[in-house]
Amino acid sequence: MRVALRAPAYLGLGLVYMWRCTFGLLSRGSCKYHPTCSQYALDALREYGLARGSVLAGWRLLRCNPWSRGGVDYPHDQRLFR
Amino acid sequence: MIVAHILTPLENLLRNVLEWLGPHGAIGLPWAWSIVALTVIVRLILVPLTVRQIHSMQNLQRHAPQMKEIQKKYKTDKKRQQEELMKFYRENNINPASSCLPLLAQFPVFISLYLVLKHFPHLPGDNLEWLGLWNITDKGSEGWGPVLVAVYALSQLASSYFMSATAEKSQRIMLLVLPIVFIPFIINFKVGLILYWMTTNLWTVGQGLVTRRLMPRPAAPEKRSSRTPPKEVATAVVPEPASAPAKPSQPRKVKRKKGGARR
Repeated sequence: MRVALRAPAYLGLGLVYMWRCTFGLLSRGSCKYHPTCSQYALDALREYGLARGSVLAGWRLLRCNPWSRGGVDYPHDQRLFR
Repeated sequence: MIVAHILTPLENLLRNVLEWLGPHGAIGLPWAWSIVALTVIVRLILVPLTVRQIHSMQNLQRHAPQMKEIQKKYKTDKKRQQEELMKFYRENNINPASSCLPLLAQFPVFISLYLVLKHFPHLPGDNLEWLGLWNITDKGSEGWGPVLVAVYALSQLASSYFMSATAEKSQRIMLLVLPIVFIPFIINFKVGLILYWMTTNLWTVGQGLVTRRLMPRPAAPEKRSSRTPPKEVATAVVPEPASAPAKPSQPRKVKRKKGGARR
């Protein structure tokens, strides 16, 4: 089950790494959260698989807007999937 | 392929707006200028985000000396440094200036525009030139293209300069080197896309300049304030949070103890 969960997650991980190597370079150090959104996405995908990880990463990105406060926020602190 | 499918609605929207602005639409601009106009529209939509960012940037600059102190204290431990900075933001009610969403929001627009320009909706006799030098359906490497790419690189440099106002030195250098690294890729893009990117960069530069005008220059008093007790800073610059200076002093003591224990 674990392995089956993880295999599709590599697709998401690849996308995040692609972002990091291209446009992510231009926007370095501009995240208001710790870890940064891309790191959060990587951690979430590794921990929760493609579907749930993507939802968590997407939700994090939506929270990373100019009206939010930012702060320390790790994927394992989430309360969506429990 | 999947990405292209997800972006189809956005691509259609951009194509419609472009056609509306273009020579056969209601506005009737030449194609090149309609790309410029499209860029301006996209950035105008993002203005509320920017205004918000300017406000938080002002707030951030007020607290710059204290933040630098934290950065110095945890120089060796980047992770800890980041966490302590975030704590400091929380305690002082600071909203960090930058955030990922506005940056990421421009990415799909860029890809969609790339797709739109790939199958450009022009008719045979259309004027595709910009300033008589560039054809928007040409590659950046053709004709006068390299000149435009050079202008693009400069605009990218300038906009990075304004965007990285609060970034660290190493990151700043990185941001300034990147446009040059990007040139080999950019030169293969269509001139229309370079035009979009250049316009958006110039908009960022313009915003940066306006922001600098709007922002009071707290540089001199802030430097002094880092040496004087923090209470005076709070009363002099920020009117409301009288409790703010007391808070950071408490965890600081704790941090020192922890740091000592590690060594």
